[in-house]
Amino acid sequence: MMQPAFLVLSGDGINCERETAAALRDAGANAEILHINDLAAKPDTLARFDGMAIPGGFSFGDELGSGQILALKIRHALGDAFFDFVAAQKPIIGICNGFQVLVKLGLLPYPATQKRVMALAPNLQGGFIDRWVTLQPAQNSICKWTEGMEAFDLPIRHGEGRVVFGDDAVYDELKENGQIALTYREDVNGSHQHIAGLCDPSGLIFGLMPHPEAFVYQATNFAPQRDFMAAGAGAQIFRNIVTYLTETQKEKSYAGRPH
Amino acid sequence: MTAIRIEIENTIPDRRLEKWAAEARDALGVPLAAIEEVKVYKTTAGTTENLAPVFADPVLQQAHFDNKEYKFPHGAPAFVVDVGFRAGVTDNPGHAAAEALALSGISARVASGSLYFLFGALDKSGAEKVARELLANDLIQKADVYPANDFYAHDRFKNVSLPEAARTTKARPETISLDLADAGLEALSRDRCLALSVDELKHVRAAFKADLTDVELEIIAQSWSEHCRHKIFGAEIDYNGEKINSLYKTCVKRATEEVKKARKLDWLVSVFSDNAGIVRFDDHIDLCIKVETHNSPSALDPYGGALTGILGVNRDILGAGLGARPIANTDVFCFAPPDMPARTEEEFMPQGVKSPRRMLEGVHKGVEDGGNKSGIPTVNGAFFFDRDYAGKPLVFVGTVGVLPHALPDGRKAAEKQAHVGDRVFMVGGAIGADGIHGATFSSMEIDENAPATAVQIGDPLTQKRMTDFLLETRDLGLYSAITDNGAGGLSSSVGEMAQMTNGALIDLALCPVKYPGLKPWELMVSESQERMTVAVPPQHTAAFLERAARHGVTATDIGCFTASGNLEVLYNQATVASLPLDFLHDSLPQMKLKAAWDGGRERAAWSAETNLQARTRQAEGLDAALLQLLQSPNITSKEKWVRAYDHEVQAATHVKPFADGGAIWLKPHGGAEDNGVTIGCGLAPRLSLHDPYLMAQCAVDEAVRNVVAAGGDPDMCCLLDNFCWPDPVQSAKNPDGEYRLGQLVRACQGLHDACINYGMPLVSGKDSMKNDFKGKDKGGRDISFGVLPTLLVTAMARVKMGSVPASHFNTAGDLIYLLGGKGSGLGGSEYAHIYNACAKTPAIDLARNIALYRKIHAALPLFSSLHDISEGGMMVALSESMIGGRNGAQLSGTLDAETAFSEAPGRFVVSVPAAKREAFEKIFGAKAIGTVTDDAKLSFNDISLPLEAISAAWEKGF
Repeated sequence: MMQPAFLVLSGDGINCERETAAALRDAGANAEILHINDLAAKPDTLARFDGMAIPGGFSFGDELGSGQILALKIRHALGDAFFDFVAAQKPIIGICNGFQVLVKLGLLPYPATQKRVMALAPNLQGGFIDRWVTLQPAQNSICKWTEGMEAFDLPIRHGEGRVVFGDDAVYDELKENGQIALTYREDVNGSHQHIAGLCDPSGLIFGLMPHPEAFVYQATNFAPQRDFMAAGAGAQIFRNIVTYLTETQKEKSYAGRPH
Repeated sequence: MTAIRIEIENTIPDRRLEKWAAEARDALGVPLAAIEEVKVYKTTAGTTENLAPVFADPVLQQAHFDNKEYKFPHGAPAFVVDVGFRAGVTDNPGHAAAEALALSGISARVASGSLYFLFGALDKSGAEKVARELLANDLIQKADVYPANDFYAHDRFKNVSLPEAARTTKARPETISLDLADAGLEALSRDRCLALSVDELKHVRAAFKADLTDVELEIIAQSWSEHCRHKIFGAEIDYNGEKINSLYKTCVKRATEEVKKARKLDWLVSVFSDNAGIVRFDDHIDLCIKVETHNSPSALDPYGGALTGILGVNRDILGAGLGARPIANTDVFCFAPPDMPARTEEEFMPQGVKSPRRMLEGVHKGVEDGGNKSGIPTVNGAFFFDRDYAGKPLVFVGTVGVLPHALPDGRKAAEKQAHVGDRVFMVGGAIGADGIHGATFSSMEIDENAPATAVQIGDPLTQKRMTDFLLETRDLGLYSAITDNGAGGLSSSVGEMAQMTNGALIDLALCPVKYPGLKPWELMVSESQERMTVAVPPQHTAAFLERAARHGVTATDIGCFTASGNLEVLYNQATVASLPLDFLHDSLPQMKLKAAWDGGRERAAWSAETNLQARTRQAEGLDAALLQLLQSPNITSKEKWVRAYDHEVQAATHVKPFADGGAIWLKPHGGAEDNGVTIGCGLAPRLSLHDPYLMAQCAVDEAVRNVVAAGGDPDMCCLLDNFCWPDPVQSAKNPDGEYRLGQLVRACQGLHDACINYGMPLVSGKDSMKNDFKGKDKGGRDISFGVLPTLLVTAMARVKMGSVPASHFNTAGDLIYLLGGKGSGLGGSEYAHIYNACAKTPAIDLARNIALYRKIHAALPLFSSLHDISEGGMMVALSESMIGGRNGAQLSGTLDAETAFSEAPGRFVVSVPAAKREAFEKIFGAKAIGTVTDDAKLSFNDISLPLEAISAAWEKGF
């Protein structure tokens, strides 16, 4: 069985690429960190990857709004190669700043139309906050990344994470569709209905404000743990997608086998 | 052609400015009901077409290109404040916006700014006060205040222009003659902001030449500044008749040498020679650590000063060895109390210095942006408040970095060596007039005429790109040596690196500039940020440039390393400076100073007269005193401030910065799986008033206890010293100089003795010697005062993963012990400060302390919780232990104020499971002082204090 190949984007102020790649590797993926300018020089490189992570950080210093300029850069510098990747229904995770990028690109919640119906606004509390939160996966979530998960804890670290919809009807539709993947148990940033993360209608494009890559081992738990090498809650998110890719590869290879 | 003005209106409420309105009411006394912001961009883009999607989020904002009258829920505004950067000041939003436009094929400049709409019954002077104190810093920003009607009366979207920084000066160097009488030399030094003494200028005249270029003179001034050369620490001192040949050699360096020899330490990789200390606590990686201060820049512009401080110390790490990766930041701030001044006291505050609250907000935001935007977790820090920091704040910023033992090409990563013929590359940002004379300015006291060019704004994005680029090219083996451009700019970085080959030659005309018109000497000494100087072997320059371009980083070949013995500087191929390196680096005669210390002294008059008496409280009961202490700014919860720092990025933070020391897991950084490192800090400035010898030892002890409480191994622990002193050089202007230098001698001796007794080496340090305010207060009276003599000690120790106890009580029934003995001596304590108690100082027993710390470390599995006793003493430590775990505590015996609140060093409050009682008492010979309970009460003497009252006091914050 081939290991799924993941692209982890870096450069221009992204700063969680190393731990995101490490989390994917620990989950069994083959993760490669690529600078966006290296990718822009050869956009066709994208086609050889099975999945993509847009990590957290402060791309372009958050100027003009978090994720705004990186989204413009992906659109202009990667162009068709990127949107072909999306159209091929390969999994993409956007964490924190990466989530903001996916929203600014219009890939969340609806990649097919790329219509801008939501935004991640400045936290209602009025500033950056680093704290641990309890996250609740929705019963009807179709998100492949959080499949089968019960409530779990992760840290949030952001200043612009408040989900806002242009029209409340969008929320109802997303909820109905099972696209609201994760909610905070309590109000942490003024987010609409406590939304912490959501996915596209395929369940493969996933954006979330909390940082699963920061809690892959108990070593980084909020309280020091003696069993520091035991898995943290974030590990399962990456394992889920590796399992998904491995299973679909298996199915594809069975499908391609003569009966 | 006129530029385009774009205004961005928020279409959903933004509550970020509410706290400013509250601050205007509370601290400034301006009846500001509300405040709203509209972002402004000005661009040279030819057309408004396609601009809106770049500048505005369609769900949150609306872009306006035409005259627009805004409607806000608060009714009509009273005033509008239009704020923009002054010409030449780093404009990060503007630069990023220009990059965004370039992505859409639009090549244009962009300047950013803001409109603030002020609501409420305020008058023009109130609006101006809000503009000046809250919305803009006059040194770097222009703020125009309009009555709302006037503002809308003219069309601001017409005749738009961007700030232009181009200068028209001629770029030729001048010749300066030192053939002057003493008064002339003194005037020359003052007028050019050289911070050189008459004797030093005479030495230049005698040992070099009398007629020299301005470039040469400026290079000399930067290199010989107190900031760069540490002349006072290297001086020959007559101390009460005893001769001391350099405090640095006889106290700091000697302590390390003695400890290294006595303990046969094999883990000191590089100390006092590189940009940072380097130690080996791991079989795969080395750790670098450096702590800097950025006091003078922060005094002028708290945000920019702190931001450039943290980015600057990050570059120290990036310039350590062949380039280390920053993995953790620390920060310690000393400010005047945030509620100072009460409005009646405002006339006593120093003129031209930001209010303590603005200082706190600005510095905090600077460190927040600097750390968060660089992706470096802040894992440890402290706030210390005392009114004597009102004239000059102390801003300590530190960084830990990681280096592999060996690079992929086999070179040792901790060693660097440039070779003759290697090219000199300047990497990162371009040069501007911002940051000229930072090194010399910080070597002088603050007055109201500080040069605006000494202020800079940092650019975390440029630095992050540069860091990514340099770490990649390091591993590709493309360069041979590296150092940062900090104080003194190229003059220091090239001047110092030139010593590796005994010469360097650069052409300043090749340097990228932010705008034309900079003079050669300005290019040479500018401290414009985000720059490193790198030695690249000629065969690697093409590959180096290719990777730079790919990372979006500017790298420029400006010269080469030579063996000429000189630092040679050209401008357009004509020589503008040629300085023998031995003259520049080794010829300066040792300073000779007098010091005297005859015991403790009361505070200087400034603070005593204005505040001290008025603010002390009458003695009260232990419970009332405890609640009072818990809400003192030195003790109260800093959680809301700490949470604004990202302390988790890089996914390696094992102990978060809410307990004693923070800790980092080394596995994610290439270290062993079970290996970690903890960082702590200590300072005790109020003890300087009693005895600086004790002050230094208590600072060491607190830093060490921080790391011991976080599981750190006291036998694998290194220390850093950062001295921030009021001017210790006696002169007519500074009549207390000898005493202050005596205090410094005492502190250095205390530091030395503590290191020797604890067996811990100093691996890096820094000193800042001109922390004084000299000027007028807001009432127009002449005032002059210095900071409390302050020594920050930072400790870094190895920690075994999985061994760190909690810092708070967690299980009812656990026994509570006080380790290190009953406290005695209230001198220097927060209690003595609040209640103005005259008290004797605590004693310190270094040998007993280190024995205890070793025992604790060996017995870590026995502890349920371990928390050190610092500000506020035992009862505060106990309260904090309760708050963390939501428990109660029942104490036996009788407490008095001294036992309850003494800050005597060497002590911990710990809890131990009842089942481990016997084993514990056998090792420590201690008797339990109480029990952890689940009734959420603190019970002692006849008092029972509910946890809610304790929490409420502690959580008040500031």
